[in-house]
Amino acid sequence: MAYVSMGEAHRRITEYLNRFCGAVSYQDSPMLCRLLSFSSNSPSLLSLADALNVFQDASSLIRQSDKFSEYGEILAHLFRSLQSYRVGNLVEAYLAFENFANAFVQEFRNWESAWALEALYVVCYEIRILAEKADKELTSNGKSPEKLKAAGSLLMKVFGVLADPYLVFFFLKLYGKGPKRVGALYVTCQLFKTYFKLGTVNLCRSVIRSIETARIFDYEEFPRRDKVTYMYYTGRLEVFNENFPAADTKLSYALQHCNPKRERNIRMILKYLIPVKLSLGIIPKDELLQKYNLHEYMNVVQALRKGDLRLLRHALQEHEDRFLRSGVYLVLEKLELQVYQRLMKKIYIIQKLSDPARAHQLKLEVIAKALRWLEIDMDLDEVECIMTILIYKNLVKGYLAHKSKVVVLSKQDPFPKLNGKPVGS
Amino acid sequence: MNRRSRGSSSSSGSVGGASDSCRRRSDVPRNRNNDNNKGGDSADVSFIVGTCSSMCPERERVTRERLRDLSVFERLHGNPTKSSSDLAVKKFCRTLSAADVQASDVRPLPVLEETLRYLLSLMDSREHPFEVVHDFIFDRTRSVRQDLSIQNLASERVIHLYEEIVKFHVISRQRLQSCSGASISSMHHLNMEQLAKTLTTLYNIYDVNRKPDYIYENEAEFRSLYVLLHLNTSSGVMGEPLSLWFRKLTSNLIKSKEMCFVRKLLRSYRNGNYRSFLRTTASEATYLQYCISEPHIREMRSFAVECINNVCYKLQPYPLLRLSQNLMMKELDVESLCHECGLEIRTDSDGCIVLPTKQTSFCRPKEGFKNYDLIGIEVESLLCEDT
Repeated sequence: MAYVSMGEAHRRITEYLNRFCGAVSYQDSPMLCRLLSFSSNSPSLLSLADALNVFQDASSLIRQSDKFSEYGEILAHLFRSLQSYRVGNLVEAYLAFENFANAFVQEFRNWESAWALEALYVVCYEIRILAEKADKELTSNGKSPEKLKAAGSLLMKVFGVLADPYLVFFFLKLYGKGPKRVGALYVTCQLFKTYFKLGTVNLCRSVIRSIETARIFDYEEFPRRDKVTYMYYTGRLEVFNENFPAADTKLSYALQHCNPKRERNIRMILKYLIPVKLSLGIIPKDELLQKYNLHEYMNVVQALRKGDLRLLRHALQEHEDRFLRSGVYLVLEKLELQVYQRLMKKIYIIQKLSDPARAHQLKLEVIAKALRWLEIDMDLDEVECIMTILIYKNLVKGYLAHKSKVVVLSKQDPFPKLNGKPVGS
Repeated sequence: MNRRSRGSSSSSGSVGGASDSCRRRSDVPRNRNNDNNKGGDSADVSFIVGTCSSMCPERERVTRERLRDLSVFERLHGNPTKSSSDLAVKKFCRTLSAADVQASDVRPLPVLEETLRYLLSLMDSREHPFEVVHDFIFDRTRSVRQDLSIQNLASERVIHLYEEIVKFHVISRQRLQSCSGASISSMHHLNMEQLAKTLTTLYNIYDVNRKPDYIYENEAEFRSLYVLLHLNTSSGVMGEPLSLWFRKLTSNLIKSKEMCFVRKLLRSYRNGNYRSFLRTTASEATYLQYCISEPHIREMRSFAVECINNVCYKLQPYPLLRLSQNLMMKELDVESLCHECGLEIRTDSDGCIVLPTKQTSFCRPKEGFKNYDLIGIEVESLLCEDT
């Protein structure tokens, strides 16, 4: 921390106060954003923090002027947060910022229009980031991290303010459109990020319900970037709940509308979209996997193409941690049945080449042998069981003559494609 | 430097951290020695320390004696108006708020341990039908849990208590199956509900104050029960999809024998592989795991019958003997299962009992909780191994 004289500290604080009040008076949103972005670590904010730590009694400065004291509460909390942030007391910084945010949101409600929406975005962003930092500090001191959870509640409150139907109605009447509600999607996305990080994903449900059922929201109004993020998170929720058609729709939307230059984001979307597509029988090209560095899926895709059950199991084991953490492990495990189907098809094709007249009869013994080549030991009872399931789920068309220990395939289309529908249950 | 004057124009009168609007919600029990408790923070709930030295607070016992509200187990020499401190056990009652509770009504940990020991000793009582025994222990263990939670206790001894209570619910589940009566099915339902609640609390306590990479002695087994309760994604017993739940497990939990076992079961279940499901259960399940798997064993068996009926060649009816081996059941039980599924069985010309296939009358059997034995597993000996 640099040395600052009393006089200089006084000057810096007053300058900030003037800028803040000026921004509010002239509805200068970009200025206000700059004044609130702690985590940007801008030199001016850092030097302000140093000044505050030297001066110690900024509240008196605020009270001296009517212009400043109008926002006394907001500024006092903001200053305290900045001071704590500067000296590395992140828990204190978060707590004070929470108070600031509460007070700020109250003011925001009173302002006539949504001029400060961008600034509110900044506040929401900072809430989450500061909470994450605070939790790191708590964990490193052996305490339980709980600030991110509190941040979730706070963001929920902000969301409530923006989604407030009365507020929206009021603005609709006065101004024809309530631009404030447009911010709801941004806040929602911050909420999603928070909940996903906390693991309390079920809390997203009530938020989603507000967005999707309330006819106040005209989805088209929302900025594209927010829509992509929204679809990404709700798509991931569908993956957790294994609603594959819905997951496909949402994640595909996100992919289509995502800025092609944002490769990191595209990779994130694909990470979840690929298992979904695989479950629907759609296999991505290797080039796609290579371009976005999704090598963990390469063996999975290969196993599906070749009917190689051993390779699938091996791929799942190799990347077990990664797949479990992202929540796609169970989805990939279920691909086993499709791999079996592919294997059966291969056996059928080979048989057709050597003995076309009897190709449509798959002896259980032959299947067991094929599995043994793949180093999978299965007795005939289990082979019969697998074939029974494949036929029942319409991955194989035909019937099982158990006495003769043979599967008789239908002459037409014995291995129906999934055609974009998940395996029948 | 100006001194801060009294009567500040700022409405919050902010001084230090005392007026933080941050409220800490303690849905997770924490040790009372947690440094986060700042003395001046009015939003903090301070936890009661119980002082009741017997299994039932004196004033409750006296009241219930007067009102003749004593369970058969609490009556001294069968007298419905007289109990004793050796027999009376505090009843569960929904308290409206922690503020209404007095320390003299709450039992400290050693008393709770003694209480639970006593309650569980009644499980072998032959004097009364099991439903009555279950009902009493069900209610009184719920009260034990209540006392634990009001005092916000969380330690290895507490973990042991919760684990014993989970075991009670599981064993009850098995024994209620041989009981009859109109209320059995609702008893079963309530029992499963409390089982889920006890497990949830137990998991929270495992997580609290956890040392990194440490898992408790029985934690892997008790965590595995969650998976078994959620094999079917559409029945959200405890609410969270499994994919999400697995994300939170530590690496050594995931690699534990018990978790690997249930994950194998999960894979078989989701792929419909009834052979592997039944075989794995028979060879690797612990007592608790087996009991919780029973509804799914039943489900897999009905599913197998459905598939076989659907898929097999009509001119080759499926021998029941074969079916019973595949489903690891007694032949008589298979017959019963087929009937439950609305399917007929026949005796063929060689005198073998067979299931004709492609019957159109198949229907999923009703949700029952009675189960057929799993051949290949000795359930009672498993129970002895575990205890």
